[in-house]
Amino acid sequence: MPVVTLHWDELERLVGVDRNTILEKLPMLGCDIERVEEDHIDVEFFPNRPDLYSVEGVARALRGFLDIERGYKHYEVKKGDWKIFVDDSVLEVRPRIAGCVVRGLEMSDEVIRSLMEVQEDLHWTIGRNRRKMAIGVHDLSKIEFPLTYKAVDSTFSFVPLDFDRVMTVEEILREHPKGRQFAFILEGKDRYPMIVDAKGDAISFPPIINSEKTRVTEETRDLFIDVTGFDENVDKALNILATMLADRGGRVESVEVVYPDRTEVTPNLSPKKMRVSKSEIYGLLGFKPSDDEIKISLERMRFGVEVKEDYIEVLVPPYRADIMHEWDIIEDIAIGYGYDRIKPEYPKTVGIGSTHPWNDLRDVVKEIMVGLGFLEVITFTLTSEKVQYDYMRRRRPEPWKHYVPLMHPLTEEHTIVRTDILPKLLEVLSQNKHHPMPQRIFEVGDVVVEMKNRLRLAACITHSKANFAEIRSVVQAVMRELDLEWEAEESEDPAFMEGRRADIIVNGRKIGVFGEIHPEVLEKFELVNPVAGFELDLTDVFDCGELI
Amino acid sequence: MLSPFEVKLLKSLEVGKRYSVNEASKIVGISKDAVFRASQSLQSKGYAEVLEEVRKEYRLTEEGREYLEKGLPEERLFRILKEKREVDLKDLEEEFGKSLLGIALGWLKRKGAVEVEKGKIRLVKDVDFKEREALRLVAEGRWEEVPNEILKVLLKRKLVEEEEEKEIYVRILKKPEVELKEYVTDLTPELIISGKWREKEFLKYDVKIPSKEIFVGKTHPYERIIRECRKIFLEMGFTEIKGHYVQPSFWNFDALFQPQDHPAREMQDTFYLDKHVEIPEDLAEKVRRTHENGWITGSTGWGGKWDVKKAKQLVLRTHTTAITIHYLAKHPKPPVKAFCIDRVYRREAIDPTHLPEFDQLEGVVLDENVGFKDLLGLLREFFLKMGFEDVRFRPGYFPYTEPSVEPEVYVEGLGWVELGGAGIFRKEVTEPLGIKGRVLAWGLGIGRLAMLRLGMKDLRKLYQPDLGWLRNCPVIKTLL
Repeated sequence: MPVVTLHWDELERLVGVDRNTILEKLPMLGCDIERVEEDHIDVEFFPNRPDLYSVEGVARALRGFLDIERGYKHYEVKKGDWKIFVDDSVLEVRPRIAGCVVRGLEMSDEVIRSLMEVQEDLHWTIGRNRRKMAIGVHDLSKIEFPLTYKAVDSTFSFVPLDFDRVMTVEEILREHPKGRQFAFILEGKDRYPMIVDAKGDAISFPPIINSEKTRVTEETRDLFIDVTGFDENVDKALNILATMLADRGGRVESVEVVYPDRTEVTPNLSPKKMRVSKSEIYGLLGFKPSDDEIKISLERMRFGVEVKEDYIEVLVPPYRADIMHEWDIIEDIAIGYGYDRIKPEYPKTVGIGSTHPWNDLRDVVKEIMVGLGFLEVITFTLTSEKVQYDYMRRRRPEPWKHYVPLMHPLTEEHTIVRTDILPKLLEVLSQNKHHPMPQRIFEVGDVVVEMKNRLRLAACITHSKANFAEIRSVVQAVMRELDLEWEAEESEDPAFMEGRRADIIVNGRKIGVFGEIHPEVLEKFELVNPVAGFELDLTDVFDCGELI
Repeated sequence: MLSPFEVKLLKSLEVGKRYSVNEASKIVGISKDAVFRASQSLQSKGYAEVLEEVRKEYRLTEEGREYLEKGLPEERLFRILKEKREVDLKDLEEEFGKSLLGIALGWLKRKGAVEVEKGKIRLVKDVDFKEREALRLVAEGRWEEVPNEILKVLLKRKLVEEEEEKEIYVRILKKPEVELKEYVTDLTPELIISGKWREKEFLKYDVKIPSKEIFVGKTHPYERIIRECRKIFLEMGFTEIKGHYVQPSFWNFDALFQPQDHPAREMQDTFYLDKHVEIPEDLAEKVRRTHENGWITGSTGWGGKWDVKKAKQLVLRTHTTAITIHYLAKHPKPPVKAFCIDRVYRREAIDPTHLPEFDQLEGVVLDENVGFKDLLGLLREFFLKMGFEDVRFRPGYFPYTEPSVEPEVYVEGLGWVELGGAGIFRKEVTEPLGIKGRVLAWGLGIGRLAMLRLGMKDLRKLYQPDLGWLRNCPVIKTLL
């Protein structure tokens, strides 16, 4: 989630209150304050509110929330004499473009930097890492209108931002840092989106890089902004930038976008109208705020509101990208009302508590094992083929037939989900050799075999004289307490010593194994004391309940 | 009351005579350690005294042994000079080497035996060398015969080294008046059956001496906290549910209205599996429409195309909500109260506060007439039962709930601590699945809770067992 740095002097000036009031109220608007410094705060805003990624946006919201300036804020757009022609060729590559001109701005290093930060946060959230939407900001005075938005081939060339030589599209994707970073978006394409001006000079190669020619500097007073992409997110991003720059004192002028089949005028900073029924408000909130309370709450959140008989009519500001549904407005009523003012009430919904058989069985097993003097451990279910099979001298099964391999493991230790618990216990013993002997540990939990969870119990004993007889006593006791009739049969499990290993057979089916761990296995786990252990699968012999 | 060893000691040793522990051990026939302990005990009772003597021992160093054999360097030089009277320094350097010649010359000068002039050495006085004889005495262990001042010199010249040896002696001072009785240590079945225990006197133990540590078998403290949480849900009338770790993306993401290009769905956060499975077609169709244009939910939807193939791909579930939503889809009629406490996975590198897998607690209430106020009431009650008296609510964000809330609890010494998230499932979530009514949902990572309860700073401890910590973490600590 984007962390936005807000400088106190700007924030206090724009909001018109002191920092303590801001610190107290800001979290109740919906954000996490990460850091408070002498000259700034770092605030993490939620991904559904990209309009709060700038100090102007935060100030606008806070002024409403603090009752300094409530209600819908109108933004003026002057009709401009700016045109973008959209060529047929680009419709299959990156079909949508919107733009605006903002005049009369005071650009400083800091303003340029914060503008770039907002741009990056928008790219990441609304733009889904520039895939859905990308923004270009240019010095208007360097551009010759009208513009053409078209598709070019890889030999098209211009001087990209931060470079001093002409490069082809192909070179940019291969050599320019931004080209390398975002080439994946255009992978497999042989035509590339390009915005060129009346002179035929490239001004932007979206979603990769602008041209050096239109670089914004401290001398820049008027901006041209282009936003390209695929859907209405293009307009949402443009609206957020245009209103933010308007709040900074800029004058917004519209741009005409001429598609082969239609013409659009951007940005559209008029509000979206929505109706929300009062019964829905009462139902979702669980209480009935008065008409006035509803109105004031929403005005605090900078909506325009008209309360009618059964419903309210809401003007949704053009910069709000998150309002998809009337419930989104109802949440803003709750926030504007103040979460701290809502009286919690325990719901009357009845229900009879009931446990899941899986966990009932686990509890029974735990009681048995604890009674036998074993210490319960919990381990990760993520592990590796190496530990699960190789170290155990067991043959690696085929992936998917038995175990579940991860597609993109993060480490060599975690490449699969465990199918057995015993190797995990040996790992535990290996990490605890320095603690006094004897050590008796168990784990009762989930393994995943053939994509389904199974319930297993495994236990280990280690000390200088741990042996078959000792673990057999334990298995006998466990089977007695589980009331299972069983037989021991000579096992062939290579994890144990020959002649000192047995399969646990119930109703003619093998459900477990026990014995003395093979010394070669001990060596693998770097254990020096003998270990005797067992593992038992409880899934089929008991009712473990329904798993979703 | 005397112990059997003490009695043995008193019986075997003569009064007034000094025995080393070693000697006493041989005479009495018990270990040196037992002699030592019994003697100390006897001393405290006034029957014996324990003496400690520090014995000094002198030995030749390697250099000392060499000089004993070859003679001290100054002695050798003296013999040469005695023969030749006057020698060139340069010639001597060849024979002795520079450093050894230095030593030899130094000592002869100190004794006033030589003069050095213009590179020549001249003998001026006869002297004697007692040092070599002293070295011999030390070598033979007769160092006591060596005069003190010579011993000092030898020590200083590092030809002899000193060692201290401690020796412990015991001397019996008196024997008790009464007959020395042997006390019985163990009460045996024979003594009980025969009734002979009546004639015996039993050894009394020192109750202050700690015995060997034993460790109890017990459940894991984390599991005990989970059990407490389950208890709270059960008391509140919730049904426990459980699901598989491996789930199709459909239930983990799509059914929860997470857009297919949502950052949380990206490879870096989720463990994807290279397999696709079938998903319920009718539900998939409704979910598709809801994602694309809102369907009948009153929402605009996310726009774009929804790809059923993405929904079919398996993942290791990233939250237990994958299970609760599927359960609600199977039980869409209110009222439903269900909870789940189980393992979830995130593709994260391990550090003290991040793990690739951890346990999550989640509860849902489905009913017709419940709203946000009821959710807050539920949360307050739940946290109160968990032992957190002060709870407050802040706006939050989750893609599948609206309104969303982040509950915070007040913890002494830490202040307000965020503990999980909650909200009401969006209509875009419930309607495609045919869920009737509103769903109040909340969840939290139990690891966070365990850290607060057990005062831990490192989450790894929970899943990477340290037997020392487990053995020493008191069971009662997890009692709420």
